[in-house]
Amino acid sequence: MPASPATTSAAQRLEWRLLASPLLIFLLLFLGLPTLVDLVYSVSQVDFETLRSPALSGFSNYLDVLSDPGFWEAAWFSLRFGLVTAIAECLLGLILAIFLAPLLAKRSWLMAPLMLPLMVAPAMIGLMYRLVLNEFVGPVPNYLFAWFGDSPAFLDADTAFWTLCVVETLQWTPFALLLFYAAYRSIPDEVRQAAAVDGAGAWQTLLRVELPLMAPTIGVGAFIRFIDGFRVFDNVYTLVGSGPGGSTTSMSIYIYEAFFKNGEIGKAIAASVILFIASFGVLFGLIGTARRRTA
Amino acid sequence: MGRLLTALRWIVYVTAVVALNFPVIVTLVTSLKSAGELSVNPGLWINQPTFENYLGVLQITDRLNIYAYLGNSLVASLIGSLLAILLAFPAAYAIARGEFGQRFILPTIVNLRAVPLIIFAIPIYMMFQVLGLLDTQFGLGLILTIVNVPLALIILVNAIADVPIELDEAARIDGASTLQIMWRIIRPVARSALTTAAIFGFITAWNEFLFGLMLTTNNAVPVTVGASFFFAASGGGVQWGLASAVMIVGALPPAILGLLAYRQIGGSLTAGAVKG
Repeated sequence: MPASPATTSAAQRLEWRLLASPLLIFLLLFLGLPTLVDLVYSVSQVDFETLRSPALSGFSNYLDVLSDPGFWEAAWFSLRFGLVTAIAECLLGLILAIFLAPLLAKRSWLMAPLMLPLMVAPAMIGLMYRLVLNEFVGPVPNYLFAWFGDSPAFLDADTAFWTLCVVETLQWTPFALLLFYAAYRSIPDEVRQAAAVDGAGAWQTLLRVELPLMAPTIGVGAFIRFIDGFRVFDNVYTLVGSGPGGSTTSMSIYIYEAFFKNGEIGKAIAASVILFIASFGVLFGLIGTARRRTA
Repeated sequence: MGRLLTALRWIVYVTAVVALNFPVIVTLVTSLKSAGELSVNPGLWINQPTFENYLGVLQITDRLNIYAYLGNSLVASLIGSLLAILLAFPAAYAIARGEFGQRFILPTIVNLRAVPLIIFAIPIYMMFQVLGLLDTQFGLGLILTIVNVPLALIILVNAIADVPIELDEAARIDGASTLQIMWRIIRPVARSALTTAAIFGFITAWNEFLFGLMLTTNNAVPVTVGASFFFAASGGGVQWGLASAVMIVGALPPAILGLLAYRQIGGSLTAGAVKG
């Protein structure tokens, strides 16, 4: 006897929910619960002795964070770092993707050596640059000495930011390159031919046809790289830590140090919540715009 | 003109490969130099290549145990990649086929990648303390699972959505249950996506650093964290040759996997960006 459609679909819906539930429960447990803990502890008086019995204390943790110049310096570092590296990576990636496209199209394995940096842990890359930039055993200072008689300090308070930008950019340019190359390749040949028929030269085709078609991908790539740059931790931490005078304290390093180094738990958690609100604000803003665009 | 341009492209290509991989190249070169040579020759040329640093690494067992670090990374990364797939696959099936979770759950999970995980780090540290999961391979594996879930989910949803729904319908007419369809029909067809998600998850997990640093101290230290000990702990300054060999050994597993599967990895790196 066939079941009526209504009960089938209700049973079916239950089945779909059950299939998704292990993942959802897992995420609620390991992300939802921590969020709740974050929220409660951010308005509590808490230290390592009273870790399991926080006492509500209002918004003093938030005031502590917001009145800490270190917090704003970290936010400023992350913002600048995210912007500079995202722009540099996307520009370099775009140029390489388009200029190397004829080579890569013929021999796709050429992509593999370009992608290798993406397979190496950023923390390891940070450590490797300790070697690369070391004044006794590092090749960069030594070649600079040999060729120019001088080598700048790469990791002092003034230069560390830019050194780190270069380190980050060299590791993640391949991501932009890969993404933009895929977008470039997916432009149908008819589009290029049509532009050629209309008398467009190579540069005109690039500027008027190809780049506009790639624009959404470039936007997404820049956004992903900005977010990754903003939350940077691994390579900065292993190369210089928080840097001379705290000059390379990113948002992530600020929270890490407040908690693990200084034991300022309330402050670290309040900073986490502020970062949480900021990133979810951006996130849901994006989901909203994406939905409106497709609707 | 055309030939000149091609030559120029090759020059740019080789320059890019060298510049992007420069730290890896320097580390590899340094790892093949003896301590004596390194002190007089810090350049990119090796006069007398030697494997003594690698032999040295393999002989360390007392203080900084490279075998333990590699083992910890292996176990935690396997948990992190396989558990993520185990959780994401049924959910991906439900989302791709069930008109369920597409409006809110899928975009939220996929975009979790955009959230700095440090904001969950302190509560997770506290939870792990209560649960006794601090400094365990399993605990680290659980966190690496979270890191891997978003991309595994989007890869699998995309792959399952590409499977013709007629396959499901035919099986259902033959009396197969939803679970049977998922396991017997969808899983074999989506096998390459599952492999890709597993490889990509393994590489991501192996390369993770922040949670390894925070959640482990002794027994479950992964190699990304362990490698940094070689720079900090030695009393007589850093032994650069040895430290270089450690980094090469620690970077090798994901690099080999990545080079073998670079096509799939490239696809999955961009999958989330394009369709997410």
